[in-house]
Amino acid sequence: MLIDMQHVQLSLNDAPVLRDVSLSLGEGEIYGLLGPNGAGKSTTIAVVLGLLSPDAGQVQVLGQDPLVQPVAVHRQVGVLPEQNGFYGWMTGSDYLAFFARLYGRPHDAEAMRALMAQVGLAPRDGQRIATYSRGMAQRLGLARALVPQPRLLILDEPTNGLDPRGRREIHDVLIELSTRHGVGILLCTHLLDDVDRLCQRIGIMVEGRSVVEGGLSELIRSGHSAARFRVRLREAPPADTRRPTGVSFIRSEGEWWIADVDPSTQPEQAWRELLFLGWPIVEVVRAGGGLEDLYLSITEQRTAA
Amino acid sequence: MNAIGVLVRKEAGEVLMSGRGLTWLLALSGMLSVFTLLLVSNTELSLLDNAQVVYDMVGLVTALGALLALILGADSVAGERERGTLVPLLLTPLSRGQILAGKLGGLLIAWGVMYVLALPYLWAVGSTGQNMTDAMVVLAVLGTPVVLAFAFFGMGLGAVLGSLRSTLLTGLVVLILSASPLLLGPSLRQATVGRAFDAVNPFSGALNAYDAVIIDSQTLIAQAGHWLTILAWTGLALWFAVHGFKRVSR
Repeated sequence: MLIDMQHVQLSLNDAPVLRDVSLSLGEGEIYGLLGPNGAGKSTTIAVVLGLLSPDAGQVQVLGQDPLVQPVAVHRQVGVLPEQNGFYGWMTGSDYLAFFARLYGRPHDAEAMRALMAQVGLAPRDGQRIATYSRGMAQRLGLARALVPQPRLLILDEPTNGLDPRGRREIHDVLIELSTRHGVGILLCTHLLDDVDRLCQRIGIMVEGRSVVEGGLSELIRSGHSAARFRVRLREAPPADTRRPTGVSFIRSEGEWWIADVDPSTQPEQAWRELLFLGWPIVEVVRAGGGLEDLYLSITEQRTAA
Repeated sequence: MNAIGVLVRKEAGEVLMSGRGLTWLLALSGMLSVFTLLLVSNTELSLLDNAQVVYDMVGLVTALGALLALILGADSVAGERERGTLVPLLLTPLSRGQILAGKLGGLLIAWGVMYVLALPYLWAVGSTGQNMTDAMVVLAVLGTPVVLAFAFFGMGLGAVLGSLRSTLLTGLVVLILSASPLLLGPSLRQATVGRAFDAVNPFSGALNAYDAVIIDSQTLIAQAGHWLTILAWTGLALWFAVHGFKRVSR
């Protein structure tokens, strides 16, 4: 287990920030940490990195306590923090070489070029960081996080400031790191598309508590919100009133019918049964009930409570 | 090069190679030039003797060094924190002590540059006298711990307050208060309050030692009392910086 965090509590200036946070991340896994602003995600990351000491609970990172062995933990962890600054007077290559030296890693020009190429960063010769665009700076931050050749990557909003192509490239880099190199990635983001594409497991935090943790597809399927579909029929449905269990038709909009499928029901199975019952289905389109609905329903419920 | 050396090089590079660093060097040269001109004019008009102008020049360099150290110390913690460059450093496999040592090394290089820059000005005002070498030695030996004390104080204050603006404002007030012996007249300094202030103030310790060595031609060894005052404050400031820096979390 790369991160094992159990029932962590933390107060800052006598105000509770983390009330009960648990999180576990294994090798080669990409974990999405979600939650509204102020939910405590960045504080959770600070605790994982040993920057803040929890009042209660257990934290183990790479099998070590980050408060007791911060140097050993930091040697194997790459981090892209939320507030990510650079030395504007340096070039990107000098900047990465500076960090490579601190980590005791190769820092020759060839190694730095390879690192920049890995994240798709191609500055002009001698270009100072101060003149980088936001997207270039974000890629440089990611390259810096990769300098230690980490076993664990902690990324806070890694695709901020990137265009869609840039985002896709960074996704590919992260997928390769996790699948080919076994790097565990803790991804903290508000971009649910990123989570949908990258993460196998997610955790949702609300007001300093972990309210949901588990496999992404299982969570979407199991019990948190019904999936909504738009079903197009060639003609009117049969008079037979039988329906597969777990499927309810809400209304019709011309040839389109709106259907909710319970989390316990496999949608593909439901469509097969409907076809068997004589429903002239032409097309089925997902209309919601995915990660976004799951996120919204959980955060709304908890905030209201 | 070990990790501390890498950090020292970065810190020194930031001070000496950035636009900010060049501005600082130019401003320093300008101030020293103006002050030198005033002192040389006074000497030419026989208003001040040679030893007195050397003493004044050494005092000024110490005050400017302390100001520089305070600003750089504050910026290296509170400034880096505000610019978002401190956290990536804290997350490297360096202990807090190593990071602090690296930052201090860069600051000492900046003080070294300032010291070397001040030497021609010191020569310009004191080349005709016999106390130039003493002045250079006493500035290095007693000026350096005063500068270090303010560097540590700036770092500690930056760590505790977090904001660069608050750190600089608070630090400057403390610096002005402790450098006030430069502004006090002889009669006030001889009063009970002045004497008490002199006894505990590191700046006064340095100035009194400069006075004894440069003007009264006493030995540096004989200034042990002043030396102890300065070192005690430097030690206290170091403790403040180390404990403050341990508290920096983000």
